Amino acid sequence: MKKDVMVSIICIATSIFLYYTLGWIDDERARSFPRVVIIIMGILSFMLLLQTMAVKKTKEKGKPLPWKRFLIMFVLVLVYLYFMETIGFYTSAFLFIVVVTLLFGQSGFSPVRILSRTVISAVFTGVIFVLFNVLLKVQTPTGLFF
Amino acid sequence: MEEFIQYLPNAFTWINLLTLVLGVIGGLILGATPGLSPTMAVALLVPFTFHMSSTTGLTLLGAVYTATVAGGAISAILINIPGAPANIATLLDGHPMAKQGKSQTALYLCFISSLVGGLFGMLLMILFTPPLAKIALKFGASELFWVAIFGITVMAGLSSGSIFKGLIGGMFGLLISTIGYSPILGTPRFVWHDVLTGGVAIIPALIGLFAIPQVFSLLEPVDERIKPVEFQPEKGILFKTIKENLKMVKALTIGSITGSIIGVIPGAGGQVAGLISYDQVRKMSPDPDSFGKGNPQGVVAAESANNAMVGPSLIPLLTLSVPGSPTAAVLLGGLLIHGLFPGPDLFTTHAEVTYTFIVTLVLAQVAMCVFGLILSRFSYSVMRVPNVEMAAIVTVLAVYGTYSVQNCYEDVIVMYALGTLMYLGRQVGFSPAPVVLGIILGVIAEDNYLKGRMIAETDVGIFNYFFTGSINIIIISLCVISVVYSVYGEIRSYRRTSLKGEE
Repeated sequence: MKKDVMVSIICIATSIFLYYTLGWIDDERARSFPRVVIIIMGILSFMLLLQTMAVKKTKEKGKPLPWKRFLIMFVLVLVYLYFMETIGFYTSAFLFIVVVTLLFGQSGFSPVRILSRTVISAVFTGVIFVLFNVLLKVQTPTGLFF
Repeated sequence: MEEFIQYLPNAFTWINLLTLVLGVIGGLILGATPGLSPTMAVALLVPFTFHMSSTTGLTLLGAVYTATVAGGAISAILINIPGAPANIATLLDGHPMAKQGKSQTALYLCFISSLVGGLFGMLLMILFTPPLAKIALKFGASELFWVAIFGITVMAGLSSGSIFKGLIGGMFGLLISTIGYSPILGTPRFVWHDVLTGGVAIIPALIGLFAIPQVFSLLEPVDERIKPVEFQPEKGILFKTIKENLKMVKALTIGSITGSIIGVIPGAGGQVAGLISYDQVRKMSPDPDSFGKGNPQGVVAAESANNAMVGPSLIPLLTLSVPGSPTAAVLLGGLLIHGLFPGPDLFTTHAEVTYTFIVTLVLAQVAMCVFGLILSRFSYSVMRVPNVEMAAIVTVLAVYGTYSVQNCYEDVIVMYALGTLMYLGRQVGFSPAPVVLGIILGVIAEDNYLKGRMIAETDVGIFNYFFTGSINIIIISLCVISVVYSVYGEIRSYRRTSLKGEE
């Protein structure tokens, strides 16, 4: 339940911060709707805090967050997005799938595995290309390569 | 009903039928794949349909929506993991049946009951939606404002777990909807970075909130012990199963009716429909103890209910833009990007598209049953797609889908940021559905509030404008009932947990 105390405190803090930033909006009428929403959000967060403190300790459920995997993937996607426009949508997507499946897959890096991942990735990128660019004629960022 | 028949032939074009079949097959496979929720599947498809004509696009979305709900039963029965939350009740008896070597019978029962329930739900939708939409024609700014507020009060029901967290998530969604330039006044709000100048569009939000958290959780270490039960095909049991199934009139009727009623209630969704109907059928059965041990009646009750829900969940969506389930909320996003705003216009100006959509939904029910019966034989192999591959592919689809709608890189950033935040939020008990509903309803609520305020200031005054008039009072009472009901539920569950704490 400790987690919920943290959550409600973060929500209350966010509400207070957002309420403060309302002052940056010029028109009173444009401010009125967000103001009501923020006030209600603050009240709800406070009620969550009260509820959390009132409920007697129960067993903490759920597995812990796998931080390492989450952070690696988070950064990988950022890198992918960063290069998407410079090296082209399909090249970056292809590389992204190869890297992710190799990094997170269970067995290590054998030549066979590298080859199979490359083939899977190539097939998938090919399917997307045909579906979107050929059949539906959508523009994609091409960048340096493709 | 006349309109329905009038537009019936429109659905039978080659391109529509082809889309329908592909959508149904794809939907069954997506639904059967554990880790890909129907809501996420539809969310990923929405931008894809943007480049099609509205009829074809909506056909695809409708077909996938219908089929994923039924497809989720496959993994529930074979590996005891519901493909979608709606299939939780299915596994209670479906998986025990599979363990007894009756997986094929269980799957057949599933698809046939889904068809019966689904058609019943569709019939109700066809009968009730147009007259309700006519009532909605009388709605002015104040009524529409209250409808949006009503939608907001049911947000709590869309989240699993704490009602407060559901509502806080919803408020967060409402705030997201105010980012960018104020709709009527043109004042910039919460524009902290250039990326946010245009506000948060619905598609990036949908994809980010539903797909990205899924990507991260697909990478979490999985329990390797989950093994699907062996699937032994049996010959000639199809007709036997159909006969047997149609004899279970009681389970089918209870399932279809409960599912339909729950479908109309915004926010309740298929999960509740399946469980309540299962519970009812068990209570009324002469042999309640046999449930949970592989009683086919349990499967029939759950599956007829969760498919009966599909049609009625569209009634509040199409008339008032209040979605009946998380997937319906995503479907609303699909309607919006095709320029179809829920309400009476759908049945007048856009009648052709709307009725064709409804006709294809009915056809999708039939196609779902037929292809479900054929595919159940091969469904076994779907369970073997490794999670890591799926995570990588879903990421690329999410990025691509978001980008392709407006060819806008900023949208991709917004999508990813919201998605990452949602993943972290999910770890502490928040769910994406209320946030999405907040984003959709926020615009309606604020627009009509400002319009109503302008009308009221020159006319009868704010109080009289917003709080008098029979329709206003009816909707306000619905809001009150909904809030009271949520609070009651919360108090009940609070008592239960504190009792447990004392034990």
